[in-house]
Amino acid sequence: MAADTLESDRRTDYPERVLRVLVHIQRNLDDDLPLDELAEIACFSPFHFHRIFTGMVGEPVARHIRRLKLERAANRLKHTRREVLGIALEAGYESHAAFTRAFRAAYGISPTDFRAARLPALMESASGVHYDAGSEPPAFSPVSPEDNTMDVEIRSLEPTRVAFLRHVGPYDEVGSTWERLTDWVGRECLFGPDVRFFGMCWDDPEVTPPDRIRYDACVTVDETVEPEGEIGLTTVEGGRFAVVLHQGPYDRLGETYAALLGRWFPRSGHSPGDPPSLELYLNDPDGTEPEELLTEIWMPTGGSR
Amino acid sequence: MSARAEKLDLFKLHKAEYSARRKPTLVEIGPGSYLTVRGRGAPGSELFSQRAEVLYAMAYTLKFESKFAGRDYTVSKLEGLYGVDGQSMNDLTSMPMSDWNWRLMIRQPDFIVDDNLAAARETLRAKGKEGDFEAATLETLEEGTCVQMLHVGPYEEESRTVEAMTTFAAGEGLTPNLWHHEIYLSDPRRVPPERLRTILRLPVG
Repeated sequence: MAADTLESDRRTDYPERVLRVLVHIQRNLDDDLPLDELAEIACFSPFHFHRIFTGMVGEPVARHIRRLKLERAANRLKHTRREVLGIALEAGYESHAAFTRAFRAAYGISPTDFRAARLPALMESASGVHYDAGSEPPAFSPVSPEDNTMDVEIRSLEPTRVAFLRHVGPYDEVGSTWERLTDWVGRECLFGPDVRFFGMCWDDPEVTPPDRIRYDACVTVDETVEPEGEIGLTTVEGGRFAVVLHQGPYDRLGETYAALLGRWFPRSGHSPGDPPSLELYLNDPDGTEPEELLTEIWMPTGGSR
Repeated sequence: MSARAEKLDLFKLHKAEYSARRKPTLVEIGPGSYLTVRGRGAPGSELFSQRAEVLYAMAYTLKFESKFAGRDYTVSKLEGLYGVDGQSMNDLTSMPMSDWNWRLMIRQPDFIVDDNLAAARETLRAKGKEGDFEAATLETLEEGTCVQMLHVGPYEEESRTVEAMTTFAAGEGLTPNLWHHEIYLSDPRRVPPERLRTILRLPVG
């Protein structure tokens, strides 16, 4: 792969930091590997680390660890005569059956047959990183390809006055919070052609435990509107944001976040800032097919990495 | 932000009428009840914006009053009708915008009637909202046979789509009527121009 010098200069920093994490994972495969600890090793904010990792490595941390453990198990099946159950337990499975199921899903063959067939022990890996028995630094090439064209714009946001309702809980349950907020908007007769709806995201829903995810459902309001009951009023801080458009269902926003943070930011010369990030909903999910939903992700820029 | 399956959605109920293909097709449009505001002048003029605000305020007040009374439904898409006195549709783009007559409309369920509109106006006033809410009325429209096509992109580039539609109509031995109907699938205030999706409808009945 021919690398543009300037681009590779810009990119050295992020890959090095993610590589530190990859090495740490390989060397401590049997330990708990909490995300905040991994984020610290890479010197990334825990708000951004998981998406950066997912974007650059091409798989989320938990799946990466699971894959390495399966590759290690395959390796041990291949090169030792140890019992399958022992290898299964080391790979983090509680029974022969659970291990066999996972192994078959990964290799298309049962562990016993695999041992007899002497097949390669490696699974597919977008980043080229595999389990390495010698604990050498893994050969890591960040997932990059087609996203060179990812359409990201740096935009400024003026401070914006909003009425909001705080949701604490699983991200896929924000619907009920939105319904309470829009009922209030309806009751107060605040709907209009220029009213905007957006979410303020304080956590990465793939990292923070579901019952602790904080999300504010926001609607723009003018200065005459007063707080009422559970509805609060606040001013969303202005500033500069990296903005990307996500088309499709909300439950796939994570992929666009990962591409933005793990592929676009590393070569942009910008660094992602502190939470919250914003999700600006461009169409109404009530009456729009999930595939047609348009959401702008506004990621603050310029914070400390 | 999840939608409820059981809720009335006129757009889905009349799916065939909102067919949105990238090539001209013939559709049959039955009678529909529309909350409507009318005016004359360029889209984007002050009157146009004021009327649009009245339309939105009324449409959402109607919806929420109905919802709170136990009968929820999805607010339909914004639609626009454009025409110039005595001119055929084909001449519309060559006419100064100040001569355009327009109607902005949001389709309503059958159970929304004039009494609901009166109640909605009262609610809006009680909330201290100002606006010419009398300007929004219920109108029935039955367009019959129409040529319809999806336009993707800025409104300024509609002429190519309209041309494909009129050529198709001529091939069918049909002549477009006096107005030009647009159904806005995306909101131009939020969605970038190149991604705007608009159904164009030319009545030929």
